[in-house]
Amino acid sequence: MSATDVLDAHPKVTVLTVDFFDTMVTRRVAQPTHVFAVIEEELVSQHGSRWRGVAVERVHAEHRARVAAAATDALRDITIDEIADQLAELMKLNQAERDLFVRSEKATEIALAQPVPAGAAMVNEALSRGIRVLIVSDNYMPTSHLVAMAHAAGYGWVTDDDVLVSCEHGGFKHNGVLWNVALGVAGVPASQILHIGDDHEADQVQPSKLGIATHIDTRMRRSHRDMRNTSPDVLPLSLIEATQRDAMYDSNWDVAHALGDGLVGMVVAAQIADVKNVLRQRDLAGIHFAARDGWLAHQVWNKLRESDVSLPEASYTAFSRSVIWRASLTELTPANVGRFIGDDEELTVARLERRVGCSLSSLYRPDELIDAQASRAVLLENDREVVAAAQQLRQRVLGYFEKQGLLKPGHHVVVDLGWTGSTIADMADLITDTTNGATTIEARLTGMYWDAIPNRMRVSMHGYAMSEFESLDNNLRLLGVIKLLEALVTAPHGSVVDFADAAQDFQPMLVETQPELSAYEQLIGKVGQSAITSALALLQGTHASGVTAEDITGTELWAAIMQVGHTPRPEEVEALRIVRHVTSIDHEGEGTPLVAAAPASPKSFRQEQLPGLYDELIHGHWMQGSLRSWWSADGTRWIADEIGNIWPSTKVQWVPAP
Amino acid sequence: MRTYERPVLLARAIASVQNQSFSDWELIIVNNGGNPAEVEAVVSVARTTTGTSKITVLHLPERVGMEEASNQGLRATSSEYFAIHDDDDSWRPTFLETAVRTFTEHHDAAAVLMGVTRVHETFKGGKVWPEFHEKFPLDDSRLTYERLIGGNTFPPIAALFRRSILDAVGYFDSSLPVLGDWEFNLRAVRHGGFVFFPERLANYHTRTPESDRAAGNSITVGEDLHLRVKKELQARWDSEMEPHGVSKGQYSRDVEAEVAIAEAKLQAEIAEAQRAQSQRSTIRRLAGAVRDPKRAIRAAVHQVRVLAKRR
Repeated sequence: MSATDVLDAHPKVTVLTVDFFDTMVTRRVAQPTHVFAVIEEELVSQHGSRWRGVAVERVHAEHRARVAAAATDALRDITIDEIADQLAELMKLNQAERDLFVRSEKATEIALAQPVPAGAAMVNEALSRGIRVLIVSDNYMPTSHLVAMAHAAGYGWVTDDDVLVSCEHGGFKHNGVLWNVALGVAGVPASQILHIGDDHEADQVQPSKLGIATHIDTRMRRSHRDMRNTSPDVLPLSLIEATQRDAMYDSNWDVAHALGDGLVGMVVAAQIADVKNVLRQRDLAGIHFAARDGWLAHQVWNKLRESDVSLPEASYTAFSRSVIWRASLTELTPANVGRFIGDDEELTVARLERRVGCSLSSLYRPDELIDAQASRAVLLENDREVVAAAQQLRQRVLGYFEKQGLLKPGHHVVVDLGWTGSTIADMADLITDTTNGATTIEARLTGMYWDAIPNRMRVSMHGYAMSEFESLDNNLRLLGVIKLLEALVTAPHGSVVDFADAAQDFQPMLVETQPELSAYEQLIGKVGQSAITSALALLQGTHASGVTAEDITGTELWAAIMQVGHTPRPEEVEALRIVRHVTSIDHEGEGTPLVAAAPASPKSFRQEQLPGLYDELIHGHWMQGSLRSWWSADGTRWIADEIGNIWPSTKVQWVPAP
Repeated sequence: MRTYERPVLLARAIASVQNQSFSDWELIIVNNGGNPAEVEAVVSVARTTTGTSKITVLHLPERVGMEEASNQGLRATSSEYFAIHDDDDSWRPTFLETAVRTFTEHHDAAAVLMGVTRVHETFKGGKVWPEFHEKFPLDDSRLTYERLIGGNTFPPIAALFRRSILDAVGYFDSSLPVLGDWEFNLRAVRHGGFVFFPERLANYHTRTPESDRAAGNSITVGEDLHLRVKKELQARWDSEMEPHGVSKGQYSRDVEAEVAIAEAKLQAEIAEAQRAQSQRSTIRRLAGAVRDPKRAIRAAVHQVRVLAKRR
């Protein structure tokens, strides 16, 4: 509804009361607590590392101040001074430092203030009709500060008389106290007042009790995530998401575009920036983007090359855990046969034959389902054929690598998402063996976790956003979001399971699956398109948010991964429910859902089952997306809560207190 | 970087240096009598990304003491600052950048110390499994001579030293099989202050008892040796007098005893706080039971089952 429509619908209105934050004025960051991150960045830059961590401590300070105030008067709101006192206690600030923080918070709020389009339109329309506008806000800042913010956002007419703020009137909107004050100040019957705001309880339920008409608009809240996660590291994504919030203001929230323009665009830009950085430091014989996780980056690289001739050609090279491992196989034993068949898999001999690339003699019918143990026995009985097929595959793999330039003597960089580096380490062994060490491989990964340590002996690896040197909690958090990242940063084709022979130029043989095709068609393809556009803009310094690739260091990328992967919004979880993850070695089957279904009978689910459930979630699904989904349902919330209590790294807060 | 037959950990330790945002570093690896081929294999992989000149390897033909290994490494370089980076520890990427910047702000400092995270990990069959991590207790008060004399308060991975301190107080005492870092720190802190930077940029890795023995820390697999050497050092210091008229050895024993009492008191306070926390938790659980009796019954049944299993 337009401002005109809303006011036309209330012809008797003589006073328009307006909520302030996110109705009339908003900030140039994605959520209110990110203002504290901007303050921290500024204070650290101007006054040193003493101020590191102040953003998250500011959140704690406000909570403590509210608890302390509620102990004596449950109705009243707190003031910025009470918050500052708590902050001073938490961070051992002296009086001058405490006052510096308050000044900085006020100045930053004013600097970041911008008008909310619908709120501004409503206010302007009301003023043009001679309707009085009264700002009614639940906030800890004094009236003078709200007036200053209003002026900064373009509402030059606002004076102290036009503002009622909870911290100065003994009560909130959401407990009704401030509404009684507002009625008195308005000086007209409730039937002549219309209120606009964005909070169900404070701006609709409470004023309605007094007979005040209301209009609710929650669009500015669409960019919010968990308020406790605030640090300067989140600011690049925050600025991008604030820009998305403003750009999508007049339309429905486009989840695919938001994910692509935000997190995925940042991942791709970081992949490219990292390679460019390596290119500046050492001579490279080749740059290779790994299929499928490097598909988007390869697209962007080629587009950049159209205008930057200094960038060398880079390959898009197909390899997978299964083909590399099979190509390296020299002996089939009971110890390594397990890698062909998952413990829970049931297979036919025909599928086994496709998996190992040779005919197998067996007493089973080709289409008879057999369990993992029987399948492994069949392979061991045919070990010579399996190894011979592996050696033939090795020749095809090497033929393909040669075609891709990977055997060229010198130092090569392979770009992939991660995570243990074992496939690239296996690949490096294969290549180094073949070239007698003339070719060396370096893995540039987005993330690595602790399993990567032994692989460092075989290949040089760098984790851009995350490495095993991070805390155990962050290692676990990375494991919990890996499936999500793999699903988002992928290609429009399936995984490679074999290569054609020399006559067919060693073409990779890709396996398409219906679940992946369907998800790509409905969602992932759109994510990828937005990511390519976003990454190009970030790298060329033209992104609408003002963020550039230089702003996206490893810590900022990690923060973005956590903001989205660890604290997804409900609509993101909902949209990603269609995605399934196909992990079998032959890339066949239906795969597993990214967002795990909750236990079928939550009431009879037992605590003893939690460790098994945790393992299944963290290894097979997008853990945090699944947990947030369970949290939102009454029946399964207790399971998600219990997992959070037992494994605290899964809780929504990922920015730790200093 | 001292190393002895732990190639997996060595690879991690080298990467921790290569990951530094401060790029003007030089790494001297002292292979303390271990298999040269094993070390060279790891180093050759690492050199593919940072070139040959930044990493030097000294292969000692026979195993020497830890401090002698450090001294040989130090004599092979003339850099302005130095750190002893054990092959099982690691730094966060901004360790060197932050430490060097801190030195420029504290011209008289002999060393800059970073906050430390202690990582407990299990090393078995060539794989490392982190078990849990905790904040290592370190602050300004633990970095004075008056506190250090009672015992060492930080692992080597936490510190970056100004090289000129070697000219002033000498190198590490090669005769000491362990605790050479403590003895050196005592000499160094008397010459110039130790500045503490609280951000936890150093990771002090220790292996759990389940780990393969070869991967153990000197401190966790040789507690008896540490105690013996400490007593020997204190006995050696009995002939040196402190300005306040007490021998250095006695002063060390006195402070050690004071610290032990203070630590015991602190542990008791922590235990008391945990007990109070547990009481509050019980009250919360009871309140929760009133709000959601079904869940409380489920939890109680689970508790009974767990207890029954234990019996």
